[in-house]
Amino acid sequence: MNAAPRAPLWPGIVAAALVTAFAVAFMWAENEWEVVGVLAAALVAVLVARRTGWLAPAARAFEMREPAMNCVTIAALLVFVAFFHDDHFPLLMVGTVLVYFTVCLGLTIQFGYAGVLNFAAAAFLGTGCYTAAVLSAHTSLPHLLVLAAGGAVAALVGSILILPVLRTRGHYAAVVTIAFGLLFRTFLEVNDTLGGPQGLKLPSMNLLGMTFNDNFIVAGIEFSFYMHYVLAALALAVLAFAVTRRLERSWIGVSLDAIRLDETAAACFGIHLARWKIVAFTLGNFMAGAARALYALMLGFIAPTNFTFGDSLVMVSIILLGGIGNPWGAALAAALVVVLPEKLQLIQEYRFLLYAAMVILVLLYRPEGLLPRPLRNYLPGWRPR
Amino acid sequence: MDAGLLAQFVANGLMLGMMYALVAVGFTLFFGVLDVIKFSHGDVLTVGAFTGYSTYLGLKLLGVANPWLQVAAVVIVACAAMALLGALIAKYIVMPLKGAPALNVLLITLMLGTVLRESVRLFYPDGANPKRFPRLLPTDAVALGSFNLRLDSVLLFLGGLAVIVAIHVLINRTKLGLAIRAVAQDEETAKTMGINFTLVVLVTFAIGSAAAAFAGVMNGLYYNEINFGMGLWLGVIGFSAAIVGGLGNIYGAILGGFLFAALQTVGAVALPFASAYKDVFAFAAVIAIMAWRPTGLIAERTSERV
Amino acid sequence: MSAPVLALSGLTRHFGGLVALDALDMRVERGQIVGLIGPNGSGKTTSFNVLTGIYAASAGRAEFLGRDITNLRAQAVYEAGIARTFQRSRLCLPLSIFDNIMVGNHKRLARGLWFNLFRRAALRAQIEGAFEEARELVRVFDAPLADRMFDAVGALPMIDRRRIEICRALISRPQLLLLDEPSAGMTEEETRELMDDILEIRGRIEGLSIVIIEHEMGVIERITERCVVLNFGRKIAEGTYRQVAAERQVQEAYLGVE
Repeated sequence: MNAAPRAPLWPGIVAAALVTAFAVAFMWAENEWEVVGVLAAALVAVLVARRTGWLAPAARAFEMREPAMNCVTIAALLVFVAFFHDDHFPLLMVGTVLVYFTVCLGLTIQFGYAGVLNFAAAAFLGTGCYTAAVLSAHTSLPHLLVLAAGGAVAALVGSILILPVLRTRGHYAAVVTIAFGLLFRTFLEVNDTLGGPQGLKLPSMNLLGMTFNDNFIVAGIEFSFYMHYVLAALALAVLAFAVTRRLERSWIGVSLDAIRLDETAAACFGIHLARWKIVAFTLGNFMAGAARALYALMLGFIAPTNFTFGDSLVMVSIILLGGIGNPWGAALAAALVVVLPEKLQLIQEYRFLLYAAMVILVLLYRPEGLLPRPLRNYLPGWRPR
Repeated sequence: MDAGLLAQFVANGLMLGMMYALVAVGFTLFFGVLDVIKFSHGDVLTVGAFTGYSTYLGLKLLGVANPWLQVAAVVIVACAAMALLGALIAKYIVMPLKGAPALNVLLITLMLGTVLRESVRLFYPDGANPKRFPRLLPTDAVALGSFNLRLDSVLLFLGGLAVIVAIHVLINRTKLGLAIRAVAQDEETAKTMGINFTLVVLVTFAIGSAAAAFAGVMNGLYYNEINFGMGLWLGVIGFSAAIVGGLGNIYGAILGGFLFAALQTVGAVALPFASAYKDVFAFAAVIAIMAWRPTGLIAERTSERV
Repeated sequence: MSAPVLALSGLTRHFGGLVALDALDMRVERGQIVGLIGPNGSGKTTSFNVLTGIYAASAGRAEFLGRDITNLRAQAVYEAGIARTFQRSRLCLPLSIFDNIMVGNHKRLARGLWFNLFRRAALRAQIEGAFEEARELVRVFDAPLADRMFDAVGALPMIDRRRIEICRALISRPQLLLLDEPSAGMTEEETRELMDDILEIRGRIEGLSIVIIEHEMGVIERITERCVVLNFGRKIAEGTYRQVAAERQVQEAYLGVE
C-alpha cells in the first residue's frame, strides 16, 4: 500500500530540536525583557520558516511519519525536563501544561468532535479533584485507582447532565452547563464536609512504593520531586492523546463529526445521536476528571476558587485558540495559556481578560484557530494507489 | 415558621422576581429583533450598577447631599450609560455577526461578558472586592405584626414595575414599538415597509440594556452591596427566566422571572437541611425544567427546513 | 407477485391546522423510477420527511417491501434500506469526500467502541476496502473526482456536491433511493449529465428503485416511468408523464389557469 516514497524524518527531528531549544531558552529567561525577546525571536523564526517553505517538510514529517514523530515529541519533552531536572518551577509548568492538555483533549472529544457544549468543565474537574481528595484522605486505595475513581465520578456526575444536554440545543445547552457550573461552585462553598470555602488538602501521591513528594537521587543526580508528577502527567497525556487520535481516525470519528455538523442528516444515515453524544460526553469528563485529580495531588490543595466559571472558560479558550478538534493545537494553546502568564508576571492578573479578548479576536478573524484541524488522516502515511 | 418571617420571604421573593424579570425582558427583546442570545447581558448589568455607584461617589464629591437627587442621578446616569453601551455592543459586535453560526455568537458574547466582568474587577478601583452601595431611599418601616414593610423596598418594587409598564406601553402603544414588533415578526418585510432596521435594533438593545442597568441599581439599593460577579448570576437567572417563559415573549419573561424567584424562595423556606442551598436548588430546578421542556414552558416556535 | 418496494396508503401529516400531506396513496414497484411533482409547498418534501422518520405521520401507513415502516425512527428507516438526498445539500462541508460517503455507509461499518479503538489492523482493512468501493462508486459519476477523495467537500462546485450526496445515499446499497430535487441550482447541461449518471447507476444496481422530486419537466419526462402529481398536499394525478401532463387539473396547478 505504501507505494509513495516515505517522507524523510529528519526535518521533523530538526523542528522538534529547535522547539526544545526555544523552550529551554524561554524557561531560562529571567526577566520580562528576556522573555519578550525570546518570544519575539521565536515568532520571527516561525514567520521566516513559513516564508522560505522550510516549515513544509517538517509538517510533512509530522503528517506522514506520525508514529515516529510522536516518539520524537516525547523524547524532546524528556530532554526538556532532564534539562531542568532539579528545578521545581519549570517542572511544575510542564506538569501543569500536560494536565491542561489532557483536560482539553477531553473537551475536544466533547465539543470539537461531537459538538456537545460544555461550559461546566470546572465542575467536572472539581468533581475529579474532590473525589481524589476524599479517597486519598479516608481510604488506602492505591493512588492510580484514586485517579481512575476521580475520572469515573466526574463521568458519573456528568451523567446527571446528560438528559438536559441531549434534549437541548445551542444556547439552551449552553445555559444548562453554565447553570451547572455555578451550582457546583455554590455547592462546594456551602458544603462544610468538603471544606467549604477553605477547600481540602491532599497527601503526597504514592505509586509503586515511591513517595512522590520527596526529591530523589538516581545515579548521583538529584531530581526535583515534581519529576514524579511530570512523568505521571506525561503518561496520562500520552494515553489520552492516543485515545483521542484513534477515536478521530475511526468510523466513530466520522459519526461524531456528522453529528456535530448536521444532526438531521446524521440521523438519516443511521447514526444514533444520543448514543455517541453520551459516549463523547462521558469519555471527555472522565479524561478531564482523572487528569485534574493528578494535578490536585501535585499541588496538594484544592478550593472552590479553583473551579469557577472563569476556569471553565479558560479550557474552552484553549481549544478555540489552538484550533477546534486538533490535539496539537490544544497542546500549543495549553502551553501558551499556562506558561505565558507565569513568565510574564505583568499579565498574570489580567489573564482571564486577555484570554477572553483573544478568543473574541480569534473567532472574528481566524475562526479555525492557530493550528487548524486537518482533514482526517485515517492511516498515517497511507496513500491509496 | 411564623407569618412575619414568611411575609419577609415573600417580600424578598417579589423583589428578586422583579429584578429577574427586568433582565429577562432584555434577553427576550434581543432575541425578538435579532434572533440572538447576548450572553454579555448580565455583565452589562454589573457595569450599570458600578456606573450608578460611581455616580453616587461623584455627587458626594460635588457636595450634592439630597438623597432624592442622588437616586435620580444614579438611575438616570446608569440607565443612559448602559443604553449607550448596549447599542454600541449591538452595532460593533452583535450585528456584524448576523448570519454567523449560532455557536460563534454565543462564544463571542460570552467572552465579551468576561471582558466586561474582568474589566470591572481589574480596572475599577479595588474592583475585586464587594462595594457597599449606599442606602439612598428612606428606610421608614410599617410594622405589620412581626413583619416590617420598609418604604425603600416598596419604592424599589414600584420603580421596577414602572419600568416594566413603560416597556409594555412602549412596545404596544407607540410607533417605535410597532417597528420593533414588525422587525421581530419578519425582518425582510419590515425592511421593505421602510423601517430602519439598524436603528430599531440599536434602540431595542439600548432599551434592554437600560432595563438591566435599572435592575443592577435596584439590586445595589436593595442589598446595599454590589460586586463584579453579580451580573453573571443575574444574567444566567434572567436568561433561564426568559427561556422558561418562552423566548421572544415579554410577558413570558416577566412570568419566568417571578417563577424563578418563587423557586428560590421555596428553596429557602422549605428546604429541610439548610437555606444555604437555595441557589443550588434554584439552578437544579432550571436544569430540570430545561430537561423537561428543552425550548421553554411556552415553546418557542421553530421549524427547520429539511 | 412480490410486495411492492414502497406502498403508501393514506399517509397524512398536519402542522397545526395546515395539512401538508393529505392521504397520499402511492406505489413504487421494484426497479421503477417514479417522479413526484407539484408546485412549491405541495407536500413533496414533506412526504420524504414523513417517510424517512424526520416527521411523524399524523395518519396513514407506509410499507417498505411489505414491512410496516410508519413512524420508524430515521435511523431504522435507513437500516431497512431507504436512503435519501436533501433539497438543500446537507453534506458535511469541512469533511473530505471520503468522510462524507462514509457517513452514508454507517450501517456497513463496524461501530463498536472496542473495535474502533483497539482492533487497528481489522479497522485498517475495513478502511482500505471501503475506500476502494467508494472510489469505484464516485468513478461512475465522475472519474477525475475519484482521484480527489481526500479533498474537502466545501471546495467543490455544486454539481460535484450533488454527485457526492447521491454517492453517500447509494454506498449503503439501499433498495430505495429518494432524490429530493437533484437538479436544484444546476445548469441544464449539468442536470443532463447528472441524469445520465442516475440512469447508469440504476442499470448497475440490480433492483434499485428511485423516487425523484423534480421541477424540471424535461427530467421527469426523460427518466421516470410513472409520476405522481401533488397539489396542496393532495394527489391530483398519477400515470406516465404524458398522461399526467395532459390532465387539466395538473395544468391548472402548474399554470394557475382557472
